[in-house]
Order: sequence, then structure tokens, then C-alpha cells
Amino acid sequence: MKPDLQIEIGGVTWKNPVSVASGTFGYGEEFANLIDLNALGAIVTKSITMKERPGHPPPRTCETAAGMLNAIGLANVGIERFIDEKIPFLKKLETVIIVNVAGSTLFEYVEVCRLLEKAGHFDMIELNVSCPNVDEGGMEFGTDATSIIKVIGAVREVTTRPIIAKLSPNVTSIVDMARAAKEGGAVAVSMINTLVGMSVSIHDWQPRLTNGTGGLSGPAIKPVAVAMVHKVASAVDIPIIGIGGISDTADAVEFHLVGARGLQIGTANFVNPDTSMTIIKGLSEYLKQRKLASIHDIIGKVQLRS
Amino acid sequence: MKKIKAQHCRVIQNKQVGKNGDYYSLKFDEFRVSRSIWPGNFLHVKVTDTVDPLFRRAFSVADYDPERGVLEIIYKVVGRGTSILSQKKKGDRIDIIGPLGNRFSSPGRKKTAVLVAGGIGFPPMYFLAKNLVNRGHDKRKILFIYGGRSKTDLIEMQRIRRLGVDLIPCTDDGSYGFKGFVTGALADRIDQLDTAQTFVWGCGPEPMLAALQDMALDIGLIGEISLEAPMPCGVGVCLGCIKATLDNPRKYVRVCYDGPVFKLGEIKI
Repeated sequence: MKPDLQIEIGGVTWKNPVSVASGTFGYGEEFANLIDLNALGAIVTKSITMKERPGHPPPRTCETAAGMLNAIGLANVGIERFIDEKIPFLKKLETVIIVNVAGSTLFEYVEVCRLLEKAGHFDMIELNVSCPNVDEGGMEFGTDATSIIKVIGAVREVTTRPIIAKLSPNVTSIVDMARAAKEGGAVAVSMINTLVGMSVSIHDWQPRLTNGTGGLSGPAIKPVAVAMVHKVASAVDIPIIGIGGISDTADAVEFHLVGARGLQIGTANFVNPDTSMTIIKGLSEYLKQRKLASIHDIIGKVQLRS
Repeated sequence: MKKIKAQHCRVIQNKQVGKNGDYYSLKFDEFRVSRSIWPGNFLHVKVTDTVDPLFRRAFSVADYDPERGVLEIIYKVVGRGTSILSQKKKGDRIDIIGPLGNRFSSPGRKKTAVLVAGGIGFPPMYFLAKNLVNRGHDKRKILFIYGGRSKTDLIEMQRIRRLGVDLIPCTDDGSYGFKGFVTGALADRIDQLDTAQTFVWGCGPEPMLAALQDMALDIGLIGEISLEAPMPCGVGVCLGCIKATLDNPRKYVRVCYDGPVFKLGEIKI
């Protein structure tokens, strides 16, 4: 029998737990000639802001040991072009569409979400309250519990869509942030966004990124992410979408075991565009081998050493 | 359209070329062609099956033999990725995604084709020259200017000569051919060219491409250049390999997806 991979988050059914992280998958269409988009549990778009943003000047990515630093700076087409040019493609897909929204002011978050609601043809909103690479907003909203409650609350006023809060690891207590997300009315938290990092060239003594610092992602951050997901899963009753260096089925299982219900594949999309496809098949096989009927049989089942 | 997937190809040759010691030619087969392969296209190569180095490395196609299904890249060992690649042996498998990126355009057979290659910008220029010859472009109307620091930096000279094109080798130190930069060699020849009937292609280090672009804009030459940039994804999503446009320094294009081939005068180099 085929194991059941279906999950539900905030009243929205995903055919499997595997989605793709914002900023690693464009607006979906870029991957159309690489993978079967409809096989994904969900697609998360690039962060959308009010106005079109070119992002930071190059270089804005650099490779590090088993990872990468990026300071793209929320480059995106802006909400108007997103609605006109990107939604028409996304709405034809038979998968859950999650629009990631970023802002530098409370007003911007609300306004983008209001325009999205008017346009329709998507299923969920992921609020990026954790971008480490912009001067204002972004992470500032996500490192203060009161701001998280406020921004989610304000967005809920203008949308009927369930809201996911994407959390930053660059905080003293991510548990407090998850609690705030729940209090604000988020249906789930996705975690973790990138860790602030820096790399300096020993040739010209300059930071390797124009922005100076960037966000670290990839296999290098996986243990940090696993620990944080475990911590939040143990302390807060809210569905978690696990993110952080997931590159293969074993990584995916690990995140499920510590309590992630959904998953997002990020940096691994750059290395192998079909990583998500491999993991969907791999999860099914893993469950079959273990004679487990459902993905829920592994979610949160970590056996802590006594 | 067929999906472009990672493929585990079989290395059939990985050997040093030239006398410098840093240049290698890697040939492989068992590559299923999902999309036709053109000069300008690149391949995204994973040099290990581990997470470090994490990303693929981009190499332009240096040659393709459709009958035998053999593809070739020519690379210079410059860092860890290429150093690991240079260890590959015949029979090893390498993980390749491609062909990716756009291609050089066809200006028409009447035009004089000027190909300007500098250092490791040689491979796509060679593939283009071969392709032009194969498509019946008059060999006398193909000028191949090839520059390197020194004589040992000029590789595969016999292969270019076999194409029968007009070859001008250049070295910075004058150890072989024209003494000076490729743009100097082009300037020397420019009087003999009808600029309106000439199409220029260039690939090489950025200072060379900048000089070529300045010269082309100055005298009204049209053409294309192929750019290089570290590319995390190679498929246009990570937005890491961007370059600013000449018209608007805040407008960016992706080298991997919008390029790697751009019109002369399009990109701020």
C-alpha cells in the first residue's frame, strides 16, 4: 500500500509535506522545464514587496563551507507585476500556492496582502518577518514579539487566507517568537530563515558580499535548524514547516522526527533542481520500508535519550 | 518540452592541454540531449557528490560531437572545484546539468566573423568557430584573435589551425605572435574590415571584454560577448550571478539565464 503523505496546515491540504523555500524557486515558472511542479506539496514564491526592487549590487552570493551566504536584498517584481505577470502562471498549477510577503513598514505588509486578497488565486500567505538583508523592516519585525503579534494581526484584517510566519533564528528565544506568531493568529510557523554570517576575502581584505553580511543557508545550518524546530515543537502548539539545509530524504525525515509537519527545500534547489522530487519519492519509500501507513507516524516521534 | 535533469555522464578523457600545466580538456559521453547544444551554452558540473564544495561549476561547451555523443569542456585549474575536477579519471561519473543559458546568434554568412578569445575564454570561441565553419561560413571571413599572457597560455593552437580560419595569436609578453592585448591586434586589423559587415564575438577576462566593448562602441562594431560569474543555481532563480546593464546601473540581468551571451554595449563591465 502506498503510504499517505498528505498533511493539513491551517485548513489547507497539501498532497505531501514537501514545498520549496522562498527565494530559491523564483515564481515557480523558472522550474517548469526542470521538474513537475504539480508533484510538490506547495510552492512558496519569492518575497513580494509593494514596489519592484532590484536588490543589492553584486556580489550578493558567495559559497561557504557546505553552504552559502546571500544578500540578495529582496529583489522582486513588486506586487503589481506579481499579480499581472506571475499569478496567471501560478493559478494553473494543481498545488498549494503560498505567497511570501515582505515589507519595511507595517503599512507595506498590510497593503501587499490587501492587493493579493483582491487578486485571489492563491492559498496561503507566508509573512517574511525574518529577512536579515534589508536595512529596515524584515528581521526587525521578527526579532520582537510585540511586532510579530502586531504585523500578523494587521494582515489578518485584510485577508481570509491562512498566515504562516517565517521565523528568524537570529533571536535570543525563537520559542518566544513562535508563541507571538500563534498569539497574533498565524496558523503555522516556518523556520528557520538564514543565519547572519560574513565572509572576508584574504586577498583584498574586503567582505565577499557588497552588503557586508548575508544570510547563511545550506547543509551547514541544518543542525541549528533541527534544534530550533525541536525546541519550538516541544514548547508551542503550532504546526511547524521545517527549513534549513534539507538536501535529501534523510534530512527530511530528521526534520519530521523533531516535529516539522511540512518542509521547505531551499538552497538544495540550486544544486539539484529536482531535490524536492527525490525527497517526495524517498519519504514514501522510507515509510514503506518501516511499514508505516502515514507521514504522521514519524512527525514529532523523536526518541529522546533519558 | 523534455525536462532538463542532472545526468551522471561517463568521463572518457581528462587530460592536460597546453604547456602551462593548468589547462585540462575533459570529454564525456552517455549524455542524453534534452535540448540542442549550441556555442555559448554552458554545462553545470557537480565536481563531488558531497556537500563541499556545495555548488556546481559552470563550464561553457568547448566541443560537441553529435554522432558519437561526446561533449567536451576545457577548463583551467583555479580553485578547489576545478582542482577536484582535474582528478577525474576515465570511467568516472560526473553529474552534469545542461545545456543551460542562451547561445551566440547567427549574423549571416556574408559578414566577416571576428572571434576574440582571451585566456580561458577560449573554449566557447573555439566551438563557435568550428560551428561557423561547419555551417559553411567562408573560412577566409573568420578572424580568430586569441590572446594569453605568454606562449604557454595559448592552448590547442593546432585545433584552431585545422579549422583553416585566419588566426592571430597574441601574447602580453610578446613570447608568441602579436605582442600586446587582443584589442591591440584587432585595432591593427580594423582598417581591413568593413565595420558594417563585421560581427564580433568575445569571451575572456573582464578587463579584456571591457576594452573590447569600449572599442566596439567607439567605432560602431556590433557583436556579442559571453560573460562568466559564479553561479549558485545556473537556472535563473537564485539571482546571485547578476550584472548591471549599461543603460541603467540599477537594472540587473542574470548571467546564467538571460545570458551568458549578451550584446556588446548591453552590460556594464
